[in-house]
Amino acid sequence: MSEHDDDHHHPAPLSPVEVRARALEELLKEKGLIQEGFIDAVVSAYENDIGPMNGARVVARAWVDPAYKARLLANGTAAIAELGLGGPEGEHLVVVENTPTVHNAVVCTLCSCYPWPVLGLPPNWYKSPPYRARMVREPRVLLREMGLDLPESVEIRVWDSSAAVRYMVLPERPAGTEGKSEEELAALVTRDAMIGTARL
Amino acid sequence: MTVRVDAAVTAMTGPAAPPRRNGELVFDAPWQGRAFGMAVGVVARLGLEWNAFQQRLIAEIAAHSDAPYYSCWVVALERLVLDYGAVTAEEMEAKRETVRMEAG
Repeated sequence: MSEHDDDHHHPAPLSPVEVRARALEELLKEKGLIQEGFIDAVVSAYENDIGPMNGARVVARAWVDPAYKARLLANGTAAIAELGLGGPEGEHLVVVENTPTVHNAVVCTLCSCYPWPVLGLPPNWYKSPPYRARMVREPRVLLREMGLDLPESVEIRVWDSSAAVRYMVLPERPAGTEGKSEEELAALVTRDAMIGTARL
Repeated sequence: MTVRVDAAVTAMTGPAAPPRRNGELVFDAPWQGRAFGMAVGVVARLGLEWNAFQQRLIAEIAAHSDAPYYSCWVVALERLVLDYGAVTAEEMEAKRETVRMEAG
C-alpha cells in the first residue's frame, strides 16, 4: 500500500489537516488500533465489493423465494429494505425481470444514476457517453459488442435511470442450479448481469 | 483482506452524511478516503458503536459549519481516540511535528 500516493512528483506541502490525518494514522498503527492494509481494504470494499454483493443477495433471495420475488418486482425499495439495504437518498428502486423472451438493460442517459445501494460504485463504462447514447439508440449492437449476443426473438427493454428512479435487472436463474443454496446462488450473480449487459 | 462495514456508516443522514455524488461516496483526495477507513477501523477495534463517532462528527460540524466535511471527520476521530484514552494529546502533537518535519 502506498503512503504517499497523493502526489506522483514532488511532495506537495501537506495541508494542516493532512498533517493531522497522517499523524493520526501513524499513531493508530503504532498502537495496533489499525491493522496494516485495513484502510485500503475499506476503501476498496466501497469501490468493488459491498454494492454488487448486496444486489447478488437480493437476486438469490428472489430466486429461492417466490413471495419475496413478487414483493421485489412490486416495490423494489421496500423489498431491499427487508434485507437491510437502502440508502439515505430515498430514490426508488425498480427491479425489472428477465425472461426467456425479454432482456432488460439499464442506462442513465443524462448522467450516471445508478442503484448504488445494491450495486456499489458504477463501472467506468457505465458513465461513458458512448454507452449512454448507444444503449438507447442501438442496444442490440452495443450489447453484442459487450459480449452479449441476444437472438432476434428476444425483446430488449432499456430502462433510463434518473435521480428519482433507479433500475436493477433481475437475471434469469441459470439452468442446473436447482440444488444450490441461496448463498451459492448469490455467488453466481455478477454486477453486469444486474445492469443487463450480461446474462448468467 | 475482506472487511465488514457496519451499515450504520453509510446510513448516516443529515449534516453528518458523507458527501456523495450521484449516490457515491466522494473522496476528493486520497487522505479523505484514508480518514474514512481509519474511523471505520478504530470504532470497530475499540468495540464501540458507530454512534460514538457519529455524535462527535455531528458536534464538530455544528461547531465549524464552514469547515470542509473531512476536516471535521479527522478532528472528530482525534476527539474519539483522546476521549477513550487510546492516544494522548502529547503523543498526537509530537507525531504531527514528526510528520511536518518528514514532509519538509
